[in-house]
Amino acid sequence: MANKVLGDYKKLEAEGRYQVGADVPKVTFREIGKRGIHRLDGYEKASGQAIYTRDIQLPGMLYARVLMSPYPHARIQKMETGEAEALPGVRAIIRYDDVEVKDRMLNGCYFGPEWVAPRLAGWALKPVHPVLGDQAWYEGQPLGAVVAADSEDIAHRALRLLKVEWEELPFVLDQEEALKPDAPILRPEADNNLIERPGETIEKGDVERGFREADKIIEFRAKRNAHLWAGAELPSVVVRWRGDNLELSVHEQQPYHAKMLLSEWLKVPMNKITMHSPYQGCAFGGRGNPANNSENGMNILAALLARRTGRPVKLLYDRREYFYGESGDMMVGDFKVGAKNDGTITAVQMKNVFAVYMGTPGIDHFVENTKISNLLCKTSTADVSKGPAWWCRCEQLPNTFCFTLVFDHVAAELGLDPTEVALKNDGFEDYDTTELSKYKREHGFPDRDSLRECIGAGKKAIGWAEKWHPPGTKKLPNGKMHGMAFTWNHEWDDTRGTGSGAVMIENDGTVSIIGQQSDIGVNPWTTYCQIVADELGVRYEDVNIKPFTLDHGYALMSPDGSANLCTNGEVLRKASQKAKKMLLELAADKFDGVTAEELDMKDSVIYVKAAPEEQRTIVEIVARAMPMSASVALWTKPPVVASAWHNQGLWGRALETGRPHLCRQAHFMEVEVDTGTGEIEVTKVVNVNDVGKAVSPETVEGQMYGGTYMGVGRALTEEMVWDENTGVLLNRNLLDYKYATMLDCGPIETVIKETGMGHGPYGAVGVAEDIATVVPALLGPAVYNAIGEWIDEYPITADKVLKALGKSQERD
Amino acid sequence: MKDDKSRCSCPYCSNTFDTVKELRSHMMAEHKGQPLPAPEGLIKITVNGESYELQVKPNWTLYYLLHDKMGLTGAKMFCDRGACGSCTVIMDGSPILSCMTLAMECDGKTIETIEGIATANHPLIDAYVKHHCMQCGYCTPGFIMTAKALLDRNPNPTEIDVKENLAGNLCRCGTYPQHLKAVLEAAENLRGG
Ligand code: FES
Ligand code: FES
Repeated sequence: MANKVLGDYKKLEAEGRYQVGADVPKVTFREIGKRGIHRLDGYEKASGQAIYTRDIQLPGMLYARVLMSPYPHARIQKMETGEAEALPGVRAIIRYDDVEVKDRMLNGCYFGPEWVAPRLAGWALKPVHPVLGDQAWYEGQPLGAVVAADSEDIAHRALRLLKVEWEELPFVLDQEEALKPDAPILRPEADNNLIERPGETIEKGDVERGFREADKIIEFRAKRNAHLWAGAELPSVVVRWRGDNLELSVHEQQPYHAKMLLSEWLKVPMNKITMHSPYQGCAFGGRGNPANNSENGMNILAALLARRTGRPVKLLYDRREYFYGESGDMMVGDFKVGAKNDGTITAVQMKNVFAVYMGTPGIDHFVENTKISNLLCKTSTADVSKGPAWWCRCEQLPNTFCFTLVFDHVAAELGLDPTEVALKNDGFEDYDTTELSKYKREHGFPDRDSLRECIGAGKKAIGWAEKWHPPGTKKLPNGKMHGMAFTWNHEWDDTRGTGSGAVMIENDGTVSIIGQQSDIGVNPWTTYCQIVADELGVRYEDVNIKPFTLDHGYALMSPDGSANLCTNGEVLRKASQKAKKMLLELAADKFDGVTAEELDMKDSVIYVKAAPEEQRTIVEIVARAMPMSASVALWTKPPVVASAWHNQGLWGRALETGRPHLCRQAHFMEVEVDTGTGEIEVTKVVNVNDVGKAVSPETVEGQMYGGTYMGVGRALTEEMVWDENTGVLLNRNLLDYKYATMLDCGPIETVIKETGMGHGPYGAVGVAEDIATVVPALLGPAVYNAIGEWIDEYPITADKVLKALGKSQERD
Repeated sequence: MKDDKSRCSCPYCSNTFDTVKELRSHMMAEHKGQPLPAPEGLIKITVNGESYELQVKPNWTLYYLLHDKMGLTGAKMFCDRGACGSCTVIMDGSPILSCMTLAMECDGKTIETIEGIATANHPLIDAYVKHHCMQCGYCTPGFIMTAKALLDRNPNPTEIDVKENLAGNLCRCGTYPQHLKAVLEAAENLRGG
């Protein structure tokens, strides 16, 4: 077929599409991959100058707060607001029956209308979720009324003066209980609590055949209790109207998306909304959706109050109120696994029951990451009287949980070294590593055995050969039992982000990256500047990005889905290449008889390739390339600015995307268990990540440390505890909900592998989500290795250890 | 008529009088020439070397005063009450949680905040940037304040000292290992190493 001539738009579309295949870098790395690069946001954050949404105050600003339900399932029958309205300093109250909000639903989630249908409840929240309703589906739900007052304190007092008559309704907290026939039904229109969702059964091959082929059948049950992302900065939004224009500062991970939702709801055109996203105190997915009063409910309410009062409004939550948005792995699973004596797994079957979650089923990584032929996963999800569950670093939690537990149970049962079991089953979608090698060669990737390399490096770092021992056999001189464990996975390389941005050469020769993005701490901007510097041939210190001061339409991929760098790296690389071409064309005029092709740029100096001593500075070239100029001058030139767009491909399995995961990760943990108190101490963790290419090695390490600490906290202590009798969440604060402190994990050793086998720019993969997701389940096998008993209910707290030890004593 | 009496209460000694005239003659007789007593809630504090006289309310925390009223937004509200250390400032040499301290209690105190330490170019700042001790950065000022108080007291801390001193600060991003490097390096720089 003859090549079609593409128009400008189609050209942009085509160049933005991810191409399957290795990315062989065409530039010399000067800044990319270098250590010691000055971190772009470092000084601002260390010096206290960094401004977060919570810090913003405007003149005349009011403070708004929302009522929360004291009951896990209830309906407001009547509400008296008179006393609250009379409180001096109260400026407006919007009630659930106010015309502006009555029967008005939230937009739902951004996957499109098909995902917000009532039958798919559990995705974003409950089936039909009003912006300010009269029904509570969980204790602590924002509902009923929102108050704007002169101070936070007055708003708070006003909420306490509301006289509410509640109709309490029956509730249920446990997902298995909720699915029993006599359970109270939580949704009036339904006849049971089952949430239907796609992909409830995933089947490959024939597990029964796999069980017949096995030498051993291993069965166990595992449970993960609810935990919460609990970010550092509490949510708030600051809103003001300028005529019919709306200006907001948000605590959002995806500000452009938030703008879209707000525009739809308020019927304010998008071009009249200015959205600032200042520094963000954590996000981890939690500043995506439910955390924001489900779907930007707080932005809507603040905008309504600001319009009603004619004043700027800051709506905020305190820590107690902001204790919902559980990580989506509240699950209990029944596992049956078949394996041969050599560690080859012949079948994996799991039945997982989730609570209020929309996420991954548990089996995916067996499909994506192993050669195991026979897989069966049945999931069901129950509506329970708990807050919305959502992705929190990350939605793969159920998948990694099941993966680690199955592999480590198999190794333990067969008495094999778990690293051997991993290597035996590595592959993808039924294929073994021979097929992976073939894929690598065919697509230009180096043919390296990532898993073997990661395991080798990790074993060495932790001293596996000297220390590994059979379960329950190693008592340390301090009287504690020593345990160690290993797990593995692929790297998060199935990213599917989309972003747009531009690179502009300013009139003084410095370079600006143009694109809005929320900063949630993964040091993206430094890496963007590194990439632009190398691609253009300018000095790192000449590049800058000011992503929250503009509202210009370019929206870089939001920092989620492990897709940030893999997407935006491509966007900015392409934009840099285009800008460089423009610049050299413009520069050619300044050299005698030289074409653009004969020029190049290095360290911010343009030179003739054949005669490098012939040079011009960038400023000489662009001094008259004006984005705007007051002088009417014939000799001004068009600005040197180029934009690009990139879509990093599909999210899905290798056979759909054409991209099997090639990079692997391996993690090792050592623990000491006190058999007297049940206390577990994590004494060492080794993370080995094949990140393909580390653009900023310190940033990668930061993610490895941070992921490990989060993972250890999730495994040891993080748990939301509800009172069974009242349905009330008992630990709504950071004293009783414990995440890891500096003392809760021993030394962490990080090993970065760079095989160049990622599908991102320069062969990179995403690394920010996976460690916190893979590490938690590693604690169970480590404790098993220490005490010789499995504890498969997470978090693994001291009481569970003692119970398990009691069991073994009874047996002896 | 009882209520009316309270209208005329003496600002010096709080005695009450039925009429303004009576009050005036009482004041001339008893308090003439005395400086007017400070109204309740007036505090004098020194923040980052500058002295302030401020009128505060009984329910204001020091955090609220610094962050919301004085615009020193480097102290951060994270846990919302006493669990995380991100609102830490130094008061008379000791690190304290500004969210757990009433502004009224701070009369006569000397307070250092992150803004003051940064302006003074404390070596902790550079060390923190160099070692990537921040991700989202929300907890960072609180850590630096805690570390500064440690180094003021103990210029030559061991690894264990640093860990124990910083263990009360939470970081959800898990930047902990990097702090250790930065604090030890800053200590060395301060000692002129
Ligand atoms: S905000 Fe003060 S200790 Fe957490
Ligand atoms: S850097 Fe984010 S909480 Fe510490």
